[in-house]
Amino acid sequence: MIHVEHLRKTFTTRTGRFLSAGRRTHEAVRDVSFHIPRGEIVGYLGPNGAGKSTTVKILTGLLVPDSGAVTVGGLTPWQDRRRHVARLGAVFGQRTTLWWDLPVIESLRLLRHVYRIPHATWQANLTTFTDLLDLGPFLHTPARALSLGQRMRADLAAALLHDPELLFLDEPTVGLDVVAKERIRDFIAHINREREVTVLLTTHDLGDVERLARRVLIIDHGQLLFDGDLARLQAAYGSQRELHVDFDGPVAQPEVPGLTLLSHEPGRATYAFTGAAADPIARVTAHAPVRDLTVREPDIEATIRRIYEGDLLRAGIR
Amino acid sequence: MTTTPAPPTGGHVSRRSRLALPWAVARLGFQRQFAYPQAALWGLITNSFFGLLRVAVLLALFGTRPQVAGYTPQDAITYTGLTQAFIMAFSLFGWFDFMRVIHRGEVASDLLRPASLLGFWAAQDAGRAVGQLVLRGLPMLLIFQVIWGLNWPPGPLAWAQVVLSVLLAWACGFLFRFLVNCAAFWSPDAVGFGRFAWAVLGLGCGFLMPLAFFPEWFRALLAWTPFPGMLNTTVELWVGVTSGAAAWAALGTQLGWTLALLLLCRVTLRAGLRRLEVAGG
Ligand SMILES: Nc1ncnc2c1ncn2[C@@H]1O[C@H](COP(=O)(O)OP(=O)(O)OP(=O)(O)O)[C@@H](O)[C@H]1O
Ligand SMILES: [Mg+2]
Repeated sequence: MIHVEHLRKTFTTRTGRFLSAGRRTHEAVRDVSFHIPRGEIVGYLGPNGAGKSTTVKILTGLLVPDSGAVTVGGLTPWQDRRRHVARLGAVFGQRTTLWWDLPVIESLRLLRHVYRIPHATWQANLTTFTDLLDLGPFLHTPARALSLGQRMRADLAAALLHDPELLFLDEPTVGLDVVAKERIRDFIAHINREREVTVLLTTHDLGDVERLARRVLIIDHGQLLFDGDLARLQAAYGSQRELHVDFDGPVAQPEVPGLTLLSHEPGRATYAFTGAAADPIARVTAHAPVRDLTVREPDIEATIRRIYEGDLLRAGIR
Repeated sequence: MTTTPAPPTGGHVSRRSRLALPWAVARLGFQRQFAYPQAALWGLITNSFFGLLRVAVLLALFGTRPQVAGYTPQDAITYTGLTQAFIMAFSLFGWFDFMRVIHRGEVASDLLRPASLLGFWAAQDAGRAVGQLVLRGLPMLLIFQVIWGLNWPPGPLAWAQVVLSVLLAWACGFLFRFLVNCAAFWSPDAVGFGRFAWAVLGLGCGFLMPLAFFPEWFRALLAWTPFPGMLNTTVELWVGVTSGAAAWAALGTQLGWTLALLLLCRVTLRAGLRRLEVAGG
């Protein structure tokens, strides 16, 4: 569905003022390649300024890259803009695509003409989305008067009314509360499942990714650092599992053979291990009388943070 | 995917659906003008006040002469009434909407839709213009008619030519405004350039003064620009300064400039979009 080969985009910004101004170039995307098959949800991750939005803008035909080849469903986005955008939906969390002074329903009606949606399809989709996203209470409110969460839901509905094959989401849950996030995630999952919509999801909220995407792309400084399963990322770069132990009284020697001691205080210790928990538990209980045990899973958040901070992938393991 | 789209059935349906979008957009552009009736009322009052002032100045210019440059005092009053009536419909004081949308990056929303950008904005402006004509233009003509009495086009043919000329003046003017707004693709402070362009427009289209009052050489110069076609041509057709074969020639010139500006807009827009840098996100 989406083919990206050696994509590059450089921005030139003028520094200083007037004629003395210098020029600074910044490579926002450098040599990025990936493929996304139909029907997949892919999470697109990276720290601020990594080049995520730039990539999405190129894929949606808003920006023309410096070099590289992109085809989306057989079309080159920036060359065939109108045909290309007819098949996709896009939600940019930072801005709305609704007409700000029109009631939501009027925007949605206008979109029917923009995409030439058959009336029956439009009506059916509107009914479904109103139900799934609970648009009812604010269908007649002008877009400018909506709360962030309401606006995001309205934007999602607007992006999907014409049954697109593809959905680009750039931070669709930014600034939303837990309940609103959950609702939007459910909706995206539903759309992907029921309608086989291919989704490229950019986000800083790993909850979005864990809930929706099996595969992630990680980009930093414009370079693609990782492309693969979330599980593989976790296995390869995740921190180890942790065993938290409460002993039945102070132990003189907290070290246990075969386990890495992370921290200890009288009567308590934390160990790191990989693989199944049975063996470490057996070792600890054999070592000293134990009152309580808990196994804590490493979270994906910590893994990603380690990757961003520690340049963990920069050595080029992809 | 709830229903499969019906296959296209013949030219008639598809033409109708092609026109459905511009029609819907124009209708919304029209309705939007009525959202702030108070603003329209105050605008009308302001326009009337300045109209009064302009009439006084023009009549002083006539002194005791029965005619100046082919205009009778009654023609001059009609000229003033018409230009005051068209200020808003033709955005003679300037128009920065598209520029703002480019600068703010909101043009991205327009580009994400499978519709012609120029067509979308044209339809919106057409609706807006009709709205302003109803809200501000017609009342203004009524005020002038009541106070001084206006000259009206003499017959059906003259009326038809005037109506045609109004449409072309709007089209020509809109394309010029759109073109000027496209400067925003190249410069983050294109507003200054815009102000200059509106000043040229105000002078060149005969809003400040009937073009007939200007020196010969200046009129000769303006004849090579599209500006007279954005207002002056229409006014001269209305008051009858232009008639007969000259009327058709004037309409032909308006049409020619409209097509030329349309071409220029398309080329400029294409170039602008290639270098667009949608900020944010
Ligand atoms: N229009 C522009 N002009 C100049 N530089 C730009 C422009 N757009 C983006 N950049 C630069 O390109 C880089 C990538 O920006 P991009 O918006 O793609 O980041 P991002 O991954 O979406 O970040 P965030 O998570 O903060 O949204 C940044 O360094 C940014 O400053
Ligand atoms: Mg971004």
